[in-house]
Amino acid sequence: MNISYNWLKEIVDIELSPEETAKALTRVGLAVEGIHGHKGDHVLDIDITSNRSDCLSHLGIARELGAATGRPLISRTGSAATVPLPSVLAGDTVRIEAPDLCHRFTARLIRNVSIGPSPSWLVDRLESLGERSINNVADITNYVMLELGQPMHAFDLDKLQGQRIVVRPARPGESIKTLDEVDRELDESILAVCDTEKPVAIAGIMGGFDSGITAETRNVLLEVAYFDRDSIRAASRKLKLSTEASYRFERGVDILNVVTASERAAQLICDLAGGEEAEFLDMFPRAYMPPEVRSANISAATQRLSGVQVSSERCDVLLASIGVERTESNDAAIYSPPSWRHDIAIEEDLVEEIVRLNGYENIESVLPPAFGAGEHLRSETILRRVRSVLEGFGFSEAITYSFIDEKYDSRFQPLPSVLPISDLPEPERLVTLRDSVIEGAVRMRPTLLPGLLEAVRHNFNQSERNILLFESGKAFAKADTPGEAPAERLLLSFVMTGSMPLEGRASLGRAYDLYDAIGIAEAVLEAAGVTGCIFRPVELVHLRSGRAAKIAKDGVEIGSVGQLADALADESKFRQPVFVCEIDLDGLISRENSPPAYRPLPRFPSVVRDVSFVVKRQQRYADIEAAAKMAGQAICRSVKFVDDFVGSGLAEDERSLTVRFEYRSDDRTLTEDEVEVIHQAVLASIIQNAQVTMRM
Amino acid sequence: MAIDTTPIQAVKDKFDQDIGRLDVASVEAASLPEATELLAQANELKIRYTGKRSELAGLMKMVGAQAPEDRAAFGQAIQAVDREISGVLTDTIEQIESRITSIKIEAERVDVTIPGRRPRTGHLHPITILRQRIEDIFVSMGYAIEDDREIETDYYNFDALNIPEGHPARESQDTFYTTDGFALRSQTSTVQIRAMERRGVPIRIIAPGKVYRRDTPDMTHVPMFHQVEGLCVDRGITMAHLKGTVTEWLKRLFGDDTVTRFRPSYFPFTEPSAEFDFSCFVCHGSGTSNGERCRPCKGSGWIELGGSGMVHPNVLRAVGVDPSVYSGFAFGFGLERMAAMTFNIDDIRHMFENDVRFLEQFR
Repeated sequence: MNISYNWLKEIVDIELSPEETAKALTRVGLAVEGIHGHKGDHVLDIDITSNRSDCLSHLGIARELGAATGRPLISRTGSAATVPLPSVLAGDTVRIEAPDLCHRFTARLIRNVSIGPSPSWLVDRLESLGERSINNVADITNYVMLELGQPMHAFDLDKLQGQRIVVRPARPGESIKTLDEVDRELDESILAVCDTEKPVAIAGIMGGFDSGITAETRNVLLEVAYFDRDSIRAASRKLKLSTEASYRFERGVDILNVVTASERAAQLICDLAGGEEAEFLDMFPRAYMPPEVRSANISAATQRLSGVQVSSERCDVLLASIGVERTESNDAAIYSPPSWRHDIAIEEDLVEEIVRLNGYENIESVLPPAFGAGEHLRSETILRRVRSVLEGFGFSEAITYSFIDEKYDSRFQPLPSVLPISDLPEPERLVTLRDSVIEGAVRMRPTLLPGLLEAVRHNFNQSERNILLFESGKAFAKADTPGEAPAERLLLSFVMTGSMPLEGRASLGRAYDLYDAIGIAEAVLEAAGVTGCIFRPVELVHLRSGRAAKIAKDGVEIGSVGQLADALADESKFRQPVFVCEIDLDGLISRENSPPAYRPLPRFPSVVRDVSFVVKRQQRYADIEAAAKMAGQAICRSVKFVDDFVGSGLAEDERSLTVRFEYRSDDRTLTEDEVEVIHQAVLASIIQNAQVTMRM
Repeated sequence: MAIDTTPIQAVKDKFDQDIGRLDVASVEAASLPEATELLAQANELKIRYTGKRSELAGLMKMVGAQAPEDRAAFGQAIQAVDREISGVLTDTIEQIESRITSIKIEAERVDVTIPGRRPRTGHLHPITILRQRIEDIFVSMGYAIEDDREIETDYYNFDALNIPEGHPARESQDTFYTTDGFALRSQTSTVQIRAMERRGVPIRIIAPGKVYRRDTPDMTHVPMFHQVEGLCVDRGITMAHLKGTVTEWLKRLFGDDTVTRFRPSYFPFTEPSAEFDFSCFVCHGSGTSNGERCRPCKGSGWIELGGSGMVHPNVLRAVGVDPSVYSGFAFGFGLERMAAMTFNIDDIRHMFENDVRFLEQFR
């Protein structure tokens, strides 16, 4: 909020420079964000927290400044107090039909005013605070609100049917054209200020256009009231209409300041618009009861929460400086906050007042006593290993938004641990936002891949063709049971494309292929402490047929890896193969890893045999490996892939797979003859079980 | 009677002639083929003049034919010439070989100023870099790291945090809602509740994680960002402990001369509440750096970092903790803002574009 330094000095007796004023206010919690000059004045931009509606005025800021500096407020010589009409008579002119929503309502008639421009001092003051001058009466209501924090509204009395006011909920079907010349539909939840026929203002929010002050206005009805905070807030939200008045009413104004504000405005109107004060009505249906805060020992409570020792006497002095009154009961002191403070309800609130007025700088800095060893999240421990492995392979870490465009619906196959297989269409099973701030991005992602691919495209557009990116983050899907919180699953995904970039060199290394992606996936799993994963061919909508693998561990699908499907690549205008992988980290974290067990080092040499097999295109290396194991020869220590060859000497649908077998005994050096017998047994098992032939 | 050394001298003369034909003087200028040729010739002379079948070896066999008193002198004369020839040849060969070696070394000289060959290293995201540093500091101070749901119920996002229905913070248009009424958490304070429900008290945790607010992306706003929430609840915890803890970790992160400042503020879930600032890590609080207005702190000397306070008794009650027995502090701050200042990033949107030219700058 903008606050004029000169105006403040009219209200509180301070001898501080604008900068010193800013410091003093910031120290007690009114953060001054900036100071700028305006025609011999200084305007302070003050950040007022939502609980301090009492500070939404110069009076409020002045009170704080007084409490912070110990300086007194300057009392104003007020106008002669007006004697209100007896309420019986008043009720004929103003009736409150909803006393729960309108706690106080005053009306003052000012006759024979001349509407015209405001004097320059008033125009300047409003302008310095960023307000526009309208006419003398409108400016005065605005001015008094900025001075005292009390919103008010001036009606053209002669335009009120029956010259009467009824404060009641609007009726269904009623509407009003407000001062901003917008027609607004009202309903029973909205409190209206009405004449005998219709609403003439939306209570606490905005006046009506037709009953507003115009150049022809002669007689003014000045409304100064107190409306229920929740009611104003709800109406303001419903109408999507927030005004300076509603902002203050919904946070709370000073119910005991209503008459003073009315007098102040009336006096100014008479001074500047030449009116004469007439009748004044004050409808105050329920007596104001200040809240009571009990505290057995405010000094002890202060020390318990803040660690600062403040004597009971000083506590009371500090509280009194902001208008909190203390009375005694049998076993505890009772503190009553002033009517302008809506934020003091419990002992902790009193403590905050004491500690802030005493100065937060007087709180000591002490470390809490030792407690126990700290610990990282298990997922973070694993992720750190995974990140470090991926960094080593050249991957940079991406962070993409958790919400993705709905155009990706059904274009990717999320992992079954995120989105289990179901007959329902995918969009119905995804978590969807009511709206988004990024157009189209209303789906909570079930996979990290769309975001990573957008990052790839961004980099392509910057002419970077060799990209390795990974991301870890959550994927989301609706729960099976309606009403249950959505499923969240921590995933790790990566994309790679192009050739291996070399640090500090413009030349590139090898072009990446699918086996690079599979290798990285294996490295990630290993870093996560998972071994024995199985890669098997799979058909997934986002991966190219024949270039996709699902990754399983103990029969559970934990990931997929492959080359991006042509359709998706084409849409993104990717003209080079892009490899993608997604792994269910949550699935890995939940596994307990046994510590590694030492195996004695080999003492005898091993013998290796390389064999080439002729296999059909769709036959798999894994079957050869499995068939070799089926032979049950313990001496056959390892079966390793050597080469996969397609070309001369082979039929169109054939490949040659070269495999290396290692034979070793733990207790003797094997002879050639021994090895040969075992080797033939292994080969026989392969030929029989994997249905392949040996290449001659 | 003197011995006849004529045949010995003849060998020597012939050698001198042969070695003279090798252009040994120009070895230093010889090319690799020339030097190789010279070496072959020198080796050939070595065989011819010092081998078992050399003329000197033949003459040696004639020692016995000399008069007994001359044999020693004759033999010595042969040996003298043999030593001389061997010496010359060894020197020559050595010289040529050294030339050949140096030509080869020269030819195989490597330019060690060319960058080494290595795959480009990847880089962690600046948010992760900061987050890891902060987590490590707190783990060393005895805190456990926590995280929890990103899609929450209103209860965890608001009610349990003392933000009842109708509260301005709750009705602000900041929160994303799903079509079935769940909220994307708008602050990591939700983890306070989840963690106290799970672990009970006493508790010391920090919870880094993603939060969501309906801000249209611009230079200083993004709809998804990261916060770190801290919570310490125990018997006898005061604001002094809050100040001590925040000051300690900021010193560990930004250096020992870092000063923190606490200002009164308001948050629904703490009472009393405070915002904390720390002295600018560039100008150390002076507001100017290199004679110009300091950038990260905009000349104020202070950097506003986060919110904090003593956990509101209603929050403790919401998780079944008696506020008359236990007290605690909580604090929270945004990682993007911190990263933007630490790394001098002028546009926060860069953090979610994942441009490799951006990511490569951090380590």
